[in-house]
Amino acid sequence: MEHTTGFVLPNSGHNRDDESSRMGMWLFLFTELLLFGGLFIVYMVYRMLNHEAFLLSSFELNVTMGTVNTVVLLVSSMTVAMSITAVQRGNNALSAKLLAITLGLSLVFLVIKYFEWSAKIHHGLFPGMDLYKALPKGESLFFFLYFIMTGLHALHIIIGAVLMGVTIYRTKKGLINSDNYTLTENTGLYWHLVDLIWIYLFPLFYLIH
Amino acid sequence: MENHKENTSHPKVHISSFRDHWSTLATLLLLTAVTVVISVFGANLAALSVATALLIATVKVMVVAYYFMHLKYEKKIYTYLLLLVVLLFLAFTILTAIEYYNR
Amino acid sequence: MTTVLPYVNFFQTKKGIFSWIFSVDHKRIALLYLYSILIFFLAGATLGVLMRLELLNPGKDIMEAQTYNQVFTMHGVIMIFLFIIPSIPAVFGNFFLPILLGTDDVAFPRLNLLSWWIYIIGALMALSTLLFGDGPADTGWTFYAPYSVKTGTNVTMSVLAAFVIGFSSILTGLNFIVTIHRLRTPGMNFLRMPLFVWSLYATSWIQLLATPIIGITLLMIVAERVLGVGLFDPSIGGDPILYQHLFWIYSHPAVYIMALPAFGVVSEMLPTFAQRTIFGYKAIAFSSLAIAFVGYFIWGHHMFTAGMSGAARFIFSILTFLVAIPTAIKVFNWVATLYKGSINVQVPLLYVLAFIFQFMIGGFTGLVVGALASDIHLHDTYFVVGHFHYVMFGGTGFAFFGALHYWYPKIWGKMYNKVVANVAFVLLFIGFNTLYFPMLVVGLMGMPRRYYDYLPEFHLPNMISTYGSWILATGILLMVGNLIAGFYRKGPKVGRNPWNGITLEWQTLSPPPLENFDRMPQLPLNGPYDFEHKPEIKE
Repeated sequence: MEHTTGFVLPNSGHNRDDESSRMGMWLFLFTELLLFGGLFIVYMVYRMLNHEAFLLSSFELNVTMGTVNTVVLLVSSMTVAMSITAVQRGNNALSAKLLAITLGLSLVFLVIKYFEWSAKIHHGLFPGMDLYKALPKGESLFFFLYFIMTGLHALHIIIGAVLMGVTIYRTKKGLINSDNYTLTENTGLYWHLVDLIWIYLFPLFYLIH
Repeated sequence: MENHKENTSHPKVHISSFRDHWSTLATLLLLTAVTVVISVFGANLAALSVATALLIATVKVMVVAYYFMHLKYEKKIYTYLLLLVVLLFLAFTILTAIEYYNR
Repeated sequence: MTTVLPYVNFFQTKKGIFSWIFSVDHKRIALLYLYSILIFFLAGATLGVLMRLELLNPGKDIMEAQTYNQVFTMHGVIMIFLFIIPSIPAVFGNFFLPILLGTDDVAFPRLNLLSWWIYIIGALMALSTLLFGDGPADTGWTFYAPYSVKTGTNVTMSVLAAFVIGFSSILTGLNFIVTIHRLRTPGMNFLRMPLFVWSLYATSWIQLLATPIIGITLLMIVAERVLGVGLFDPSIGGDPILYQHLFWIYSHPAVYIMALPAFGVVSEMLPTFAQRTIFGYKAIAFSSLAIAFVGYFIWGHHMFTAGMSGAARFIFSILTFLVAIPTAIKVFNWVATLYKGSINVQVPLLYVLAFIFQFMIGGFTGLVVGALASDIHLHDTYFVVGHFHYVMFGGTGFAFFGALHYWYPKIWGKMYNKVVANVAFVLLFIGFNTLYFPMLVVGLMGMPRRYYDYLPEFHLPNMISTYGSWILATGILLMVGNLIAGFYRKGPKVGRNPWNGITLEWQTLSPPPLENFDRMPQLPLNGPYDFEHKPEIKE
């Protein structure tokens, strides 16, 4: 950048400021929370209007698969938190390894989700399919919401996995180290958000019979 | 291009130990087990099961935010702002619920 | 800290189109927004004039009913999403927020550029609906289900455009909040920030926390259209009113995204032209936050006649009246600021005075439609159209024009022709009131909105209104022309501080250099508007 007047302010927006980056990430998470919040409001209202139908449909979902996925996400949340501890202590190799485990767990989650979805789609429960159209009043809303909400959540998992990949790459390159690990922290924060959303999705769809 | 000043925003960083992370995970898994067991075997709790499931989920979320997301060691403003967001969302749901409850 | 004269300002550092559209300098991005927003404003205004032309006489004048539906939808989409929501924050917020804080850029300069690009992509998506299929949406800018799901026009694309533009708005808000928290000049705490910064702070929080709700709501409409399956369909247990709830959970706070920055620029201009400190600094600052906060909880007043429950209508009506309190606090403080000031009547001040007058009319008519009983009669009439044009155009629009005249010498380093600017203002003021006041009257008489036709007894007010649109359009053209002519004016360059202002932007050069300041900015002793201890500004 050319210094046209030869004067530079001390509080320049071009300085590196880790606190700014973290604050930016938190604010972004707030936005994300309310994005899902809109769907939770729809869920609440439709549950109020179609109480019995929602109860009946939730029996269609596989509690075992849901529970396994919950455990997978909780463990991955721990490994990503550990990778931050590792990088803070200067152990980049361990940090990259823990991130790789997290990435692996995110893929496990997606595979399980894939099996769940394909079973439903096989039955014809995807919005617009034959069985879906024959569903009694209210049950179709449950499945519509199930597909939108878990679908949007899965999209976030994919974005998180990509972010994880970038972080691993930069850690291995040595661009992330014990003095400069904001990216690891922000990836972690994003990943925890994905976990937080799932913590609510799980009981609302699988458990409330 | 950009003038990289020394980073000053980590004056004293709290580093959580691996042990802390393990105990946080143990707590979360325990809570998950409780909520699943209540749901599968306690079907006769009826309306209570919704409340307990949401309550346990909220406790889990707080644990994740507080320890994994490091909220405990951040500046207090992050906690307050997060609470504000949660309250805002609750206000949306309550106002909407009032409207549909009275239909 | 020596200044090398002649210095190089931010226009001169680099040349060529790419140095603009890929610039991360907040000043250049602000001007990118300004030029794009002005183009969309002129397009939207043209559609408005065409609508008025159709309503000149009863029956069909220049367009079919269906065309009229599409025109008013396009007018709404352009004016709301492309003009008024980004207007003051994206243009003057981008340009002056860092300067008012005494820093050289926003916290995330590259994110700032990305926001503009997202805005442009969204805008192109919105305009592309003209080109294919059955043409642009005919639903009104609110896209109410179930009609928005059933109609054959390009609703999907319009809705996606609004979704994309929402992203731009969120990222701008995020950027501003972090900037305000992290980049204030040493010594500037929150209570020494200029009031425009306060209003941007409140606005940014609304952008951040309300926009995602409409994002997801619009995606639900898209899902419904693409999958061909109802989500708001009552026959399967859904509820179309729920769409309206979600829509207004965002869109009512969005009214404050439009209004709060206008309050902010007005609070900047008044002390400068009264040459005294603002009356009630803290009251104005905190009332911005109060408006932002209360504004989240009053969305239901758009739906009083939609079939809401009695309890909810009662609660929403009471909460609506609450928002009048912080708004009135602001108006009283502005008027009190003029009291015993040494008033310097310049063009920007005229816009401010018009703003206060018209915003008051908008505010009071707002109370009329916020009350349950009178809203039953006035809902969906021209009274509502008049009301929100008084608030949005008479308020925010005039504040935007005022800010343009106020900061023009700082941005371009030149002064426009003040005589022509005065004439343009008079035309705008007369044209505006001639256009919209009859709408309030004809609305009270019972004329419904959103029709291309009306009963013969509404003829006279509609005719007056259309004449007003011609005066207003002339005023807008004269104003824009005068500002453009100002670039090419020969004559003395303005100095650092042509209005004798006190906030930090007047301490730097006009136009500012790339780094914004050529020396350390000095804060006044007691608060940002302390004219008695104004730091001396050397040229």
